[in-house]
Amino acid sequence: MSASAVAHTEGLGHVGGVALAICGRGMRRIRARPTLIMPVLLMPLIFVISFTGAFGSLTRVEGYGTDNVFNWMAVYAALQGAVFAGVGGASATAEDLENGFFDRLLLTPGSRVPILVGTMAYSALRSTIPTTGVLFVSVLGGLSLAGGPLALLTVYVATAGMAAVFCLVGLAVVYRFRTMRSMILIQVFGFSSMFLSTGQVPIHFMNGWLHAVARVNPITNVLRFARQGFLGDLTWAMTWPGLVALGGMSLVSGTLAVWQLRRLAA
Amino acid sequence: MRPDSATGLRLAGAQTLALTRRSVFTEWRQLGNVLPGIVFPLLLAAVYTHQFERVILLPGFPVVDSFLDFVLPASLVQSVSFGATEAGTELARDIENGFFDRLRSSPCGRLPLLLGRLGGALVVAAAKGVFIVAIFLAFGAEIAGGPAAAVVIVATAVLLVLAIGGLGQVLAILTGSQEAVNATFPLVFTSIFVSSAFFPTNLMSGWFRQVAEANPVTWIIDPIRRLILEGWSWSDVGQALGVPLVISAVTVTMAVVTLNRKLGAS
Repeated sequence: MSASAVAHTEGLGHVGGVALAICGRGMRRIRARPTLIMPVLLMPLIFVISFTGAFGSLTRVEGYGTDNVFNWMAVYAALQGAVFAGVGGASATAEDLENGFFDRLLLTPGSRVPILVGTMAYSALRSTIPTTGVLFVSVLGGLSLAGGPLALLTVYVATAGMAAVFCLVGLAVVYRFRTMRSMILIQVFGFSSMFLSTGQVPIHFMNGWLHAVARVNPITNVLRFARQGFLGDLTWAMTWPGLVALGGMSLVSGTLAVWQLRRLAA
Repeated sequence: MRPDSATGLRLAGAQTLALTRRSVFTEWRQLGNVLPGIVFPLLLAAVYTHQFERVILLPGFPVVDSFLDFVLPASLVQSVSFGATEAGTELARDIENGFFDRLRSSPCGRLPLLLGRLGGALVVAAAKGVFIVAIFLAFGAEIAGGPAAAVVIVATAVLLVLAIGGLGQVLAILTGSQEAVNATFPLVFTSIFVSSAFFPTNLMSGWFRQVAEANPVTWIIDPIRRLILEGWSWSDVGQALGVPLVISAVTVTMAVVTLNRKLGAS
């Protein structure tokens, strides 16, 4: 093996090692302070219980797409939980920036990107907690897996992807403003983006500006991808637009986050 | 020489007014904290109006021209509830940073210590209430009960803040921690969703319907909604103002008793 190839392999190993360490630190933080996970778990559970309870009769409206409201709302609540998980990952970085730990990270040799990748991985991993909670409560409520066990896989892929995206958006803002207070911007953004999609009703139920916004909102495609297994069989036609939407959002938010990180580290 | 009761009352009034002004200025300096409580309920109302237009045709749904009329009470209650625990949070902050002890060592009465903070929260709630109702009217909502009903609706929202604020103060006195008071927010948030705020209870089913019907938020929302949709009714005015007034009397008395016990024990 040539010297450059060895250096490249070692470089990749370094990136992976740092990213894993950052991700592991985040998970240990949850173990040390379990209260950190409560809002991330509690809010999606409140959502799934409230939305299915309050809006249960939506299934009586013609064209809703399912006669079981859990099949529609569970994915929405799980994705909301993923957004909170992503924002929470960025919040941990905000805390590190405020208490000076992040400056110490920046003093370490090597690329800064693994710091970002590790935080993103931590957020994606963290999202499995609310997703599992929401699915558990929904199964108790009568959630059915029309598309088989693969339906669960699509939900976990979608929620991990959404957590990563919103973590990257949060990191871009945190690297720019360097305060915990700036997280409120991302919370409002995340919450609003979810509401401006097909979270609670199908797109043909909407009218006016909301219909136009939900149609172009990439989260609508992610919801279709994640929800398909609860409404029927999984199809490639429903799958690829969701994956493209997740990939596109990751690319844009990742570019923004890397740009802001480089500015911060300069 | 002991001041006579009239002088004592005047003094307490002046102290309450001074502390109320301080509280309002504090809110004014932190407008960023107030904005989510206005933006989020308005966004939710806008989204629901455009996605639930088919829902108003469901048998059993109240007769309305638009979902906007139906959702007005929910948005109002949600908006004021966002800052309702502020009276408790601010009191806890005063306890944490020692300002409360300085006030105690001054000739300030005990009641103004509590009422001053509550007064600030009520002024902010009234301003929010007027703003929310004005926005709804600007976008085409109609209040069948006329301007007098609009005044009752805002007054109800203000009384609701007094009720929640009193409870927040009890927690603040008991714990002296802002975090503990803030932790009640999910409870307030959930109590709005598990009520008739966004959907009529007669279209709900099972345990959720029973909880929603027993929820005091429903007892407040329903008469307000009738004032908006059906017109002026003295019994609805009595219920809309009476329920939060009774709860306020209980929670504010609890706050006064808790403070007296705390100061008596120290």
